[in-house]
Amino acid sequence: MMIEMRGVTKHYGDVRALDGIDLDVAPGEVVAVLGPNGAGKTTAISVMLGLTRPTSGTVRCFGGDPARFEARSRVGVMLQESGVPAALRVCEVVGLFQRYYPYTLPLDELLARADLTAKRDAPVSTLSGGQRQRLYFALAIAGDPDLVFLDEPTVALDVSARRAFWEQVEGFAELGKTVLFSTHYLDEADAVARRVVVVDHGRVIAEGTPREIKRLVADTTVRFHADVDLERMRALPGVQRADLEDGFVVIATNEPEALLQRMFADGVAVRDLRVTDSDLEAAFVHLTNRGVHGAAIGAQASGARRVQA
Amino acid sequence: MSATRSLATTGRGVPAAVAASSTDVPRRLSPTAERSGGRLALLLTQVRCELLSNLRVPEFLIGVVAIPVMLFAMFGVPNARFELPDGTRISTMMMPGFGAFGLLSLVIFAFGVDIAAERGRGWLRLMRATPAPGWAYFGGKLVTSVVVASVTLLALFAVGAFAAQVEMAPARWLRMFVVLLLGGMSLAPLGFALGFLARPRAASTIGNLVFLPLSFASGFFFPLNQLPQFLRDIAPYLPTYHYGQLAWRVTASPEMVEAYTGIAPGPAWVHVAWLLGTFVVFAALAVLGYRRQRSREAA
Repeated sequence: MMIEMRGVTKHYGDVRALDGIDLDVAPGEVVAVLGPNGAGKTTAISVMLGLTRPTSGTVRCFGGDPARFEARSRVGVMLQESGVPAALRVCEVVGLFQRYYPYTLPLDELLARADLTAKRDAPVSTLSGGQRQRLYFALAIAGDPDLVFLDEPTVALDVSARRAFWEQVEGFAELGKTVLFSTHYLDEADAVARRVVVVDHGRVIAEGTPREIKRLVADTTVRFHADVDLERMRALPGVQRADLEDGFVVIATNEPEALLQRMFADGVAVRDLRVTDSDLEAAFVHLTNRGVHGAAIGAQASGARRVQA
Repeated sequence: MSATRSLATTGRGVPAAVAASSTDVPRRLSPTAERSGGRLALLLTQVRCELLSNLRVPEFLIGVVAIPVMLFAMFGVPNARFELPDGTRISTMMMPGFGAFGLLSLVIFAFGVDIAAERGRGWLRLMRATPAPGWAYFGGKLVTSVVVASVTLLALFAVGAFAAQVEMAPARWLRMFVVLLLGGMSLAPLGFALGFLARPRAASTIGNLVFLPLSFASGFFFPLNQLPQFLRDIAPYLPTYHYGQLAWRVTASPEMVEAYTGIAPGPAWVHVAWLLGTFVVFAALAVLGYRRQRSREAA
């Protein structure tokens, strides 16, 4: 196994960042760890890297301590915040990281794999957000790692930058490398990963292929004013949730067409109808069984979905 | 481990099966993978990157090279016409003071403020996730500051020799260089401790609060006998004062050092012991701060 986590917990005072995580990652897998902000994704990756000690449980990377040299030299990583010295040029920073590892890939290949060939001599300070993330990716693969961790690599990137980024990652995975990335965008997990691990409250709450995960979630939210029987709505196929919020009927479903057809067939007078992609919070509401905990998070995630749609 | 140890083999000569010691998944190298350089290559690359990123920031060079040289030119040159009783020019006494000031500001800023900033930005954390040994980072900083310190001293000496009428035998110039450089590096742990103990955003302020009063109270700017009595009383308890005394002793006899500073220098070993003690105490503090940082991240 590339990674084996058994009953890993991590407590910060009363906060349980990780609350008993079990996770296996096999060679060659591309795994997405999906969850809202604060779910424990970053802590989990930090533990897998050996940067953070678990409160209890065991973590093994390549069958041993993730912090040992043998493991570190086979692992590449993109962390969320790592300010590269701004005055250095792209080729200089990548060249430095090449020296950190016992094995490396040729500089030209690293730059090509990160789509930075044209930026070879550009100072880091002049890079755009997307280019900067690709530079971090180049640093992550500088040691020709068997296993790459990417902690929310596309946060704050626009659509085209995000697409370009994932193309580079997929190119590297094609070498037979193992990739584990965290995201709070369902569409990214769907498009890139072959396995999705849904994390919330520091626990794995669902796991499966992207298709299986998508079947579990209500990806659409339908809101309208009307006089309807909520119980009947909940019985409709694909409906995960039907509630009254601020006078609106709010229905989370993954079959919005069936829902609307039924309502129109019943002759329900619908006003102020809005159909939107669910944010991650709404999508997993029946899995997590908890309320909305931060409008900003939801806005981010729903923005991402709109982008893909 | 063997991969880092072999310095010589570079290029495409990758062994077919890399030993997977204590691992249950064999290493899977890409077809184009090549051996990286060894430790020396790592250190040189680290130094090169440190140098480049410092030299490309004009503020850095102005602070640690231009300011001490400029101050010496402003205050030292006009004082070249004054002499101590034995004929030693005052400018000759001022030169080591400004040299010590320059190197103190170098260790405080190149180590302290820089490390705090890199720590704050998460750069150190990313480095820690790589197999790079810790010494590469510190070694890179140390070698870089020796290079920059040499530039500062040579520029200062040039002003001294060509503008401030500092006259010394070649061997004495060399000794002055070595004493200032080694003394400055013995204060490096001061910077490291600051870098790991101070909050990143406070480091620059603390750095200024440390190195300006220290320079002043150690007589680097003005001779101690021109300072208020209470400063002269505390000076012997400052490591930087002992650094200065060692440097002044290179240029003049103990009597003349006393004539200039107003305080009789002790035997050389006392000053050296002070610097060594400072080194040990602050190195311990720096290691403590480094460990605290790591365990805080791991906690």
